Parts: sequence; structure tokens; C-alpha cells
Amino acid sequence: MNADVSEDRTRAAAKPLVGGGMTPAVGPILRIENLCVDYRPRGSLSPGKRAVDGLNLSVNQGEVFGFLGPNGAGKTTTMNVLLGFINATSGDAYLFGTTVREPIARQRIGYLPELTYYYKFLSAEELLRFYARIFKIRKTETERRIDQVLKLVELEHARKRQIKTYSKGMQQRVGLAQALINDPDLLILDEPTSGLDPIGRMKVREIIQRLKTEGKTVFFSSHELGEVETVCDRVAILDQGRLKLEGRVSDLAEKHQLSLEQLFLKVVGYSLPSATHLPP
Amino acid sequence: MTRDTAIRLDPPKPAGQSRVAQYALLLLLTVCFCLATDLTSWFQDWQGNRTESSNLMAVAMGDARRMFANHFFVKADAYFHSGFYPSIYDNQRSFKTPHIAEDSGAMRGKNTGDETSFLGPPRNWIDSFGREFFPSVHTHLNEGGADGEQKEAEVREILPWLKLSSQLDPKRVETYAATAYWLRRMGKPGEAEDFLREGLRENPGNPQLLLDLGRLFFDSRSDLIRARNVWEAALRNLQSATAEHKDQNKFVEEQLLAASAKLEEQANNPGKALGLLERLKAISPNPQAIEEWIEGIRQVMKPKPMPAP
Amino acid sequence: MNTTLAIAGIVIKELYRRKDFYVLFVLTALITVLMGSVTLFHDTHIVRYLKEMCLLLIWICSLVIAITTTARQLPMERESRTIFPLLAKPVTRTQVVLGKFLGCWLACAVTLVVFYLFFGIAAMSKEHHWPLTNYFQALTLHWIMLGIVVAMALLGSLVFSATSSNVTISFVAVTFILLLGRHLDKVAMQIPQPASGALQALFFTIPHLEFFDLRDLVIHDWPPVRWLVCLKAVAYAAAYAAFFLGAACLLFRRKAIN
Repeated sequence: MNADVSEDRTRAAAKPLVGGGMTPAVGPILRIENLCVDYRPRGSLSPGKRAVDGLNLSVNQGEVFGFLGPNGAGKTTTMNVLLGFINATSGDAYLFGTTVREPIARQRIGYLPELTYYYKFLSAEELLRFYARIFKIRKTETERRIDQVLKLVELEHARKRQIKTYSKGMQQRVGLAQALINDPDLLILDEPTSGLDPIGRMKVREIIQRLKTEGKTVFFSSHELGEVETVCDRVAILDQGRLKLEGRVSDLAEKHQLSLEQLFLKVVGYSLPSATHLPP
Repeated sequence: MTRDTAIRLDPPKPAGQSRVAQYALLLLLTVCFCLATDLTSWFQDWQGNRTESSNLMAVAMGDARRMFANHFFVKADAYFHSGFYPSIYDNQRSFKTPHIAEDSGAMRGKNTGDETSFLGPPRNWIDSFGREFFPSVHTHLNEGGADGEQKEAEVREILPWLKLSSQLDPKRVETYAATAYWLRRMGKPGEAEDFLREGLRENPGNPQLLLDLGRLFFDSRSDLIRARNVWEAALRNLQSATAEHKDQNKFVEEQLLAASAKLEEQANNPGKALGLLERLKAISPNPQAIEEWIEGIRQVMKPKPMPAP
Repeated sequence: MNTTLAIAGIVIKELYRRKDFYVLFVLTALITVLMGSVTLFHDTHIVRYLKEMCLLLIWICSLVIAITTTARQLPMERESRTIFPLLAKPVTRTQVVLGKFLGCWLACAVTLVVFYLFFGIAAMSKEHHWPLTNYFQALTLHWIMLGIVVAMALLGSLVFSATSSNVTISFVAVTFILLLGRHLDKVAMQIPQPASGALQALFFTIPHLEFFDLRDLVIHDWPPVRWLVCLKAVAYAAAYAAFFLGAACLLFRRKAIN
């Protein structure tokens, strides 16, 4: 399987990016090198659990990259390292060429967590203004951006209401709005369609497509393989902390003659019943 | 499935069982009620029962209110000193008897040592620095107060604590005596009299309170007759007083005799005055001064020689 | 600094949108007005007992607001998961800690201004004079003291796992220092070693919050404290607050947020 990873990676790097025929960036926007993360219980001498094991990954500008894996594969851990929530045991990760240990690396990213909780006593407008201030966006630009993103996520009618009065779908959309407030070049989304109804999911897909046409880079994890297949340029499949497969969606489908879901199941070692036995 | 079976999930209890439970509850309630009526009469007669008192604080706090009463009396003294007061960790020799009580004659003073320096020299830089932030100079409210410029009327600031102390422990006579004294000095004899009478209602015939009432009639109203009546009543009550408060009674007796002697002297009854002073001399810790007083009166009593023609 | 101020602004917004402050203020005002309506011995100018009760209530309320507001900041961010979108921005953990401290401290300032204004009006209604310098000093030093308390509670929120433990321990510690801090060395002199040595060490280690308690001076109309002494007290408070904040920043930087 490692041979598949390197072969697919080489083929993917050779092809031009989808999305307006933009030329590839000088270097990858997101780069992970030999990343290892261990969780050791406090006070224990035992080695603990290795959540990520020697991960090497890169994402180029303008790509929509799907980060897949079963539960406990190490996706969230990897994202936590990228966002600086936890430190890597060894290896490193870079955003725009800057190590993720530096807060400035996060100046040009937007992050949508899986569980969207924001300050309930603030309104959507106040929340966005707060985050804009952290990004040091000028006041006039802030107001323009707030109007823009609230219109995008269709929350204009509720902009002055406190977030505690919002439904789950509205909170998810506020999350998307705060991820976009600084017009990020890289968007990191953790299960963006989790908990959304079909209309909500469609809207999120539309937003991702729109960002893609604008030349933004999107890095997201999801269990909705159908959506991933639709929007992603490249995918990586993680299992038990190790990278199992990586490459362009179209190339993988062509090579393995399987849908993404079937390929996913095969990669993680889930053997299907004999009636659905798949060709190697 | 019918509606009845859909709703009923538990099997129905037999009707007899629930009726027995209801009767048992009713019986239990009746027994409790009977016990309560029986125990209440016993509780009313019980020594130390607080429900007999109409005083809310007595009911709520019990005997602890006396502790609080003493605390607030001392707090009044702390106010008298504009906050400059020893804590329980400091040298309290010069504050054993609250100054408001000692100055008013309500209690015999037992203070020793220097009242200006109970803190002592600073022990370290923290102690030295800390003294900048709390009162650290000895002052009295009736002698200028904190900045040396306050009027004597500022003594009124001690009154709320004395009032509270009297309400918590109405049997504490010193509270009424001290308060009345300071009210008189503030030019409020009416309020002082009302307060003393309130004290006398709680402590009927108390010699200390009668002494202070007599002082009020004598000093503030110049009513010698009423003052004499009150002080004579106080002296009679002292004779029949128990030995429980012997020391305090002796102190009160000294003051009564001295005040009565002064009254009789002013009323031109030197004979009566001398009789009182002789009694005073027998119990006074300073008989020499009493003797001088007696001599003074005798000198006045001597017939003056007729002038030469 | 902009980021720190932005985080502080959120804390202040939270305070005035919660009910705690309003409830405490109304309670204080009600009790003060009730006590002020009492006339003793037909004298309407007795005021010091009122000042004492009002200041005592102000101190209790300010400590409640300071400690409860601060103690829940970081734990609440973690429990409600709002820490993740915050730290995903170009924000350092030090900025988060400093922002929370500044927010809680400034919130205390707003609280104190309102309370002391009410106190001034209540006292002036009976005293008919307004010693502005004394009140200003009392308010300022009280606020400075709350800076130490806030920093201490912030450190406590990172040391203790439960917010309730932090609140309880902070209250006990502050009350202990205010009531007994000044007397520890006297007690130490009266007890044998090694307890005496331990108590002396404690006496020199704890932040002496009683330096900032000017209530007795305000109640009894003492002259104001010398300004140089006030400055020294401010420097003393800054040192302790910096120590607690530094420890909090170090702890927070090492804490795993996941």
C-alpha cells in the first residue's frame, strides 16, 4: 500500500490543479513531515498510544483536499497539531512555510470545528467583529466582511440575536462565517456537514465549490464519502495513525476500479460479504 | 390494542391495598398531631425555652446574643477611637474597660499601660508599611477625632452600636448607662431619659440606671427633688441587692453617695451631706479626699464671727 | 495588545449580560437604603455605621464578582469548546491569559465605580460633605487589590480541576489574608518552633491584601494616605499580580487543549 501512496502522489503532483487552471504554488500551502503524536497518560511510564505515526502529507494551493479515515484514525489529532492545540511528539507541520508552533501561521487560515460552540451571549455580528479584531482587520473592512459572510451563510436576518437563540444549523453557519471572516487562503474544516440536513449539506458543498473557484485551498475531514468524491481534488486515507492511501480522486477510481467508499473499506481492512466480493 | 391497555403499563393494585395505605397514613398523621399537642405544653415549661420571649433576636440567637452584645459594645468603643483599637492579638491592657464606659462612670476602670502604643514598635517592614493603611493614632471622638478638628457631636457615631448592643442584651446595664451619659453630653437629655427608662423597664430598680437618671435630673434639668428621690431609691435597692455583683454594686454605691452628698451640699443641707460622706469614706478607695471634702463642709458650717462695731 | 483588549472586551460584555452584577448591586443598595432610613435618638446625621455596612457589602460583592467571574473563564472556554475557534486564530496562549485577566480586572473596575458612586451618594446624603480624595484612594487601592485576587483566581483555574474548588479556595484564602494576614507574625512569636517558623514564612510570602483596605480610614474620616505610600502599594500589587499571571501563562502553555 505504501507503494500506492508514493505512486499516486507523484502522479498527482505532475498534473495541473483543477479550478481555473491556476499554476501550482511554489511550495505546498500545508506540509506535514514525519509527524508523530503520542498520547501518554499523566504520571504513567508506559509509552501510551501513538495516535499519528510518521505522517507525511502536503496540500497545494487551490486544492480541495479530503482527509479521510475511520473513527480513531488520527484525523482530529493531525488537525489539532496543525492548529496548535497540541504539540507533536516528533516531526513538524508547516502552514504557508511557517511552523505551526508560531501563531502567525494561523493568520491566513480559517477553521471550522466539528462541534460548533461559540460565545452564547454574543450575537453573530459581535462574534465576527471580535474575530476580525483578532485578525487586525480594519474597521471599515470588518463591517464589509461581516455583511459579506453573513449574506453568504444566510444569517443576515439573525445577525443581532444572541447565539444562544440559534438552532444547530444556524450555529453551524455562524461557524462557517467566522471561518471565512478573514478571507482565508486555507480553510480547515472538521466534519463541516455533521448534523446538517440535506439542504444545509448542499449549501456547504456550494460554499466549498465557490471557494475552490476563487482559488482558495480547502482541507477537510468528513465521513460523507459521497460528498468527498464530489468536491475533492485529492484525498488521503488514514488508519490507525498511518497514511494508507493518497492521490487524486479520479486517478484512484481509475486505478482501483472502485468507488471511493469501496476503496475506503478495502484500505481500512473491512472485508465485505461474499455477495459483494470486490475484484482486487 | 385498546386504549385502556395502551395506557395502563403496570398491573392494577388491588383496591383493598391502597385503602389500607390511606388509613395507615391518616393514623400516622393523627398520632403526630396528638404528640405535638402534648409535647408543646412540656416545651413551654422547659427551662431555657426561647419561645417565651417576644424578642426576635432572643429567639433566633439564644444566649449567643450576649456575646454579640458585648462585641457591639466594644465596637462602639472602637468607633469612639475612630477605628484605632487593639485586636485580640494585640496588647489590650489599656482597653480592658471600654473607654466610653470608663469615662461615663458606667464601669470601674481596670485599664493599665499606655493606651497610645498598644501596637508597639513595628516588628518588620510589612508591619511598618501596613500601619499607613489603618488608624494608628490614639484619638477620642470628643477630643477632635481623627483629624483633630471634629466637633464633640461626632460622638453620636457610637450610638447605633450601643443601641444594637442594648437590644441584643437588655440586661446589660452598662450599655444604658454609657449611652445616656454620651447623649447628655451631646445635649440630648430627653433621649437619654427615654433610653434610661427603657433600661429600667428591662432592669427594674437597677441602682446604676437610677444613679444615671438622677444625674440627668441633677445636671441637665437642675431638678434636685427628683434627683434626690431617685438616688434614695437607688441606695435602698442597693441594700437589698444580692452579693452577686458586689464589686460593681460597691462602685455604684460610691458614686451614689458622692452624688447625693454633692446634691445635699448644693441644697444647703450640710448635715445630711456629712452623713452621706461619712458612709462614703468607709467604702471609698480614697478616704483622704473624702476627709478633705468633709472638712470643707465643716468649715462652711462654722458660724462666722460678728464684725467689730 | 489589540488581541488582548479584544479578549478583555468579551469578558466585560459577558459580565454586563449576566445577572450577577445587577443582583448584587440591587441587594447592596436595598440593604444600605433600609439601614439609612433608620433614625436613632432623633439624630439624622449618624452616618459612620452606614458607611461601614455599605463598604462591607461592597467588598463582599466585589470579591464575589471578581472570583466567580475569573474562576469560570478558562474552564468555561474549555467546557463550551469556544477555546478551539479562539486558539485557531493568530492568538498565543499568553494573550488569552492576559486578555482574561484584563477583562476580569476591568470588569471589576466598572463594578467598583458604580458601587462607590452609590456609596458616595448615600454617605453624602447624611454627611453633607464629600471627601473625594479619600474615596478616590479607597476605590483605586480596592481595584488594585482585586488585580491580585483576579490573577490568583486565574492561576487557580488552571491548577484546580473544578471551578467550584477554585472559587472556594480563593474565597477562603482571600478572607484569611484580609482578616488574619496582619497578625500572623504576632501569633508566630507566641508559638514554639517549628510552627513559628512556618507561620513567619507564610507571613512574608502571602500577598498582604489588607494594605489596600482603607475602609477604616474612610469610615472615620482620617486624612488621605500619602501618595508615595499608595504608589508603593501599587508596585507591591503589580509584583504579586505579575507573579501569579506569569505562573498562569506558563501552566496554560503546557496544558493540552483537546
